[in-house]
Amino acid sequence: MPALDARIQGPGFMSVGVSALPPVLQVACAHCGSRVARERVRAARDSFCCEGCEAVSGILRSRGLTGYYSLRERGGSLRRPAPAPQLDRSYAYLDDPAFRKLYASDAGEGALQMAFFAEGVHCAACVWLLEKLPEFVPGVRSVSLDLGSSTAVVRVPPSGSFAEAAREFHRLGYRPHPVRGTEQEELQARENRRMLIRVGLSGACTGNIMLLAFAVYGGADGSWARLFNWLSFVIFLPVLFHGAVPFYQEAWRALRRRQISIDVPIVLGIAVGAAASFANLLSGSGHVYFDSLSALVFLLLSSRYVMRRAQQGALHSTKLLHFLAPSVVRRKRVQAPPYEEISMDLLQPGDLIEVRPSEPVPIDGIVTSGRSHLNRALLTGESDPVAVGAGETVFAGTVNLDSVLEIRVQASGYATRLGAILRAIETGQGRKAPIVNLTDRISRYFVAVAVALAGAVFAWGAWSSGWQEGLNRALAMVIVTCPCALALATPLAMSVAIGRASRQGMLIKGADALERLASADSVYLDKTGTLTSGEFGVLEWSAAAGREREAERAALALEARSNHPVARAIVRHLSAKGAPEAGAIAEVHDFQERLGRGVSGRIGGVAYELRQAEPGASGTEVVLSAGGETIARIALGDQLREGAREAVERLRASGLEPAILSGDAEGPVARVAAALGIPADKTHARATPERKSELIRGEARALMVGDGANDAAALSSAYVGVAVHGGMEVSLRAADAYLARPGVGPVLELVTAARESMKVVRRNLAFSLVYNVIGGGAALLGWVDPLFAAVLMPLSALTVFVSSIAGTRTMRRALR
Amino acid sequence: MSVITVMLPLALLLGFGFTAAFIWMAAKGQYDDLETPAYRLLLEEEPAETGSQRKA
Repeated sequence: MPALDARIQGPGFMSVGVSALPPVLQVACAHCGSRVARERVRAARDSFCCEGCEAVSGILRSRGLTGYYSLRERGGSLRRPAPAPQLDRSYAYLDDPAFRKLYASDAGEGALQMAFFAEGVHCAACVWLLEKLPEFVPGVRSVSLDLGSSTAVVRVPPSGSFAEAAREFHRLGYRPHPVRGTEQEELQARENRRMLIRVGLSGACTGNIMLLAFAVYGGADGSWARLFNWLSFVIFLPVLFHGAVPFYQEAWRALRRRQISIDVPIVLGIAVGAAASFANLLSGSGHVYFDSLSALVFLLLSSRYVMRRAQQGALHSTKLLHFLAPSVVRRKRVQAPPYEEISMDLLQPGDLIEVRPSEPVPIDGIVTSGRSHLNRALLTGESDPVAVGAGETVFAGTVNLDSVLEIRVQASGYATRLGAILRAIETGQGRKAPIVNLTDRISRYFVAVAVALAGAVFAWGAWSSGWQEGLNRALAMVIVTCPCALALATPLAMSVAIGRASRQGMLIKGADALERLASADSVYLDKTGTLTSGEFGVLEWSAAAGREREAERAALALEARSNHPVARAIVRHLSAKGAPEAGAIAEVHDFQERLGRGVSGRIGGVAYELRQAEPGASGTEVVLSAGGETIARIALGDQLREGAREAVERLRASGLEPAILSGDAEGPVARVAAALGIPADKTHARATPERKSELIRGEARALMVGDGANDAAALSSAYVGVAVHGGMEVSLRAADAYLARPGVGPVLELVTAARESMKVVRRNLAFSLVYNVIGGGAALLGWVDPLFAAVLMPLSALTVFVSSIAGTRTMRRALR
Repeated sequence: MSVITVMLPLALLLGFGFTAAFIWMAAKGQYDDLETPAYRLLLEEEPAETGSQRKA
């Protein structure tokens, strides 16, 4: 029964009683929850948004795995589920020995393991489903899924098949992409573990020292007090010589660059505190501060660890988006079957590969057969499709639009034009000047003030109550003003912001990026793919009076028979308008398609022709004529995204002056600028990647938003760069933040989040300075003893912690 | 105060033991993934349920 149960309470609420509801109501897909198109809604049964989801749901039911739905309802979700992809590949290349050598590793106990990025993993139910794989795929030993990075590690015996497991992943709706662990990641993981050990060790020591210190505060004296203090000292040693090491390293690094970072006053505090306490311990008189010092180290280490994990979480997801470039290609073979799937890594120059319509071109090469159009928007920013035929050179990073191309590989990977850009980004060419973050700016003054004050306290104490007392007060001053809360203020606030933003599909690469985002004052927007959809579409449709229906009918009938990008745009436009009544497409006689010119044919005895007009300033135009008489003119081009105008308006209102920076021709750029109300002097067309980069470098505080490879250099040299949804890997790497949602709308949200988190940082800094003033004042008057320090420090840390978690009201609204 | 001569070493020993266990676990990578185990917890009851379904 549980299976049936799950079906009803799981996705059921969307489907039960659909027939009784008015047809306008939206129906959600029983598998993924997406909206179901009207014609797919079924009255009595579950409705699905696509074939893929229906197939997955069928598989789940037939294998008795419907527990997936009930779990998903209960478990809560990280992300929204997505419609399931259809099985369109064999994954045979996964079992190719050459591929295995690159991607698989020894899992011990005679098993091999391979890691996959599982696209679409989003909740506890996904964990359950994928980790159950060994139960119904014989030959798979185990699967373990890491939800945070959507990575599944599959283990099989050496004779087993990764392809079979991958096909099952795909069938269940998670498209798998093999990932190769890099050395850098391993180093990172090892560093994480080392850091966690420091945190844990410092925490344990702090707890034990506090117990002992508490006894002393509580009144233990004489030999007991001495024993407890000595024990505290012994337990403090691991903190001093292991836990706090990162601070020494950081402080040393800063000093060597002749800079002061926040680590310098921290190390000063720790060193003075430890030395003074040890001296007092030996002499048997005076205060020891081991408890406060180890608590300080523990709190600071924890906040840095949390910050590190939050940052890595954001970076991890971006990095894994590398499947934007296809990792698998179809290579032509001499024997049957004519094509085999192989990994990009194994492709050699001279190989022949096949690229189907709507697939990206994975390499640089020469077309050997086929004729098609390419969308080069991501590589160059051009919005109009470009025709290619045999003998012409094509580049990685373009997308094949209408028909199959066979291409001879000339260069792949880093050897391509795209690869060269990627390498330039990786090696840090055109990297921006580093900014000194707010905390470090403050700590410069902080050290000076603290040292000066300590000197003053010593002088005043020595004058009023003897040099011994003066020294004690000065030491207490340095210890109690050690900027614990100050050092916590930034990482806490920022890791909260980065974590929340990443749940909203805004991945921020680090604290630095957040600070830059908050202080940008102008925004440069790429046009193609950012402000516009990057796809060819109908912009304007003007038909002669009284002949509107005829024009639509004829255009649809003719263009439905063609594969040209213009034809496909027109068909898309008309079907979106609901033009084909009941799906009827008129019959065409004598249909003719002339390459690069247009199509013609006779419908109901009338000769119609759709002809491409001479390219004018405003882009592509198509003329429809009936018996020689023009009855409609259709303008085509790249369409402005929905909401782009409002988004740009809101950016302007928030103090970011918008400008356009595009690699496209003047015509389309001017059109978009006019629609958005951006003045001509803020509009730059035909900008090469170098020009973009140069222009943006000239702006002190410009936020650059882009998606393509041609934006990458500009994104990395801008004050702050944001890559938008649908962009290329190279632009993601170059940018400081990435938006997983399309369009420019989320840019404002991102900036708002950054500004609000900087407000929290400033508030935190203010709190911590207040505490330091209190501590400093108390030290001046000689009130500071270990108990005072032990209360003040956690209290200030707690204030900062609560302030960070609470955020601001605007931030809570923007990022829930 | 004599009880403290027993309690103190005992407490310290306990603390030391758990710290050592923690270091061992962290070094083995048990804390590498902090997200999935929270969800995996929800799956505890499942095996019996699916077992009966698979027969059907």
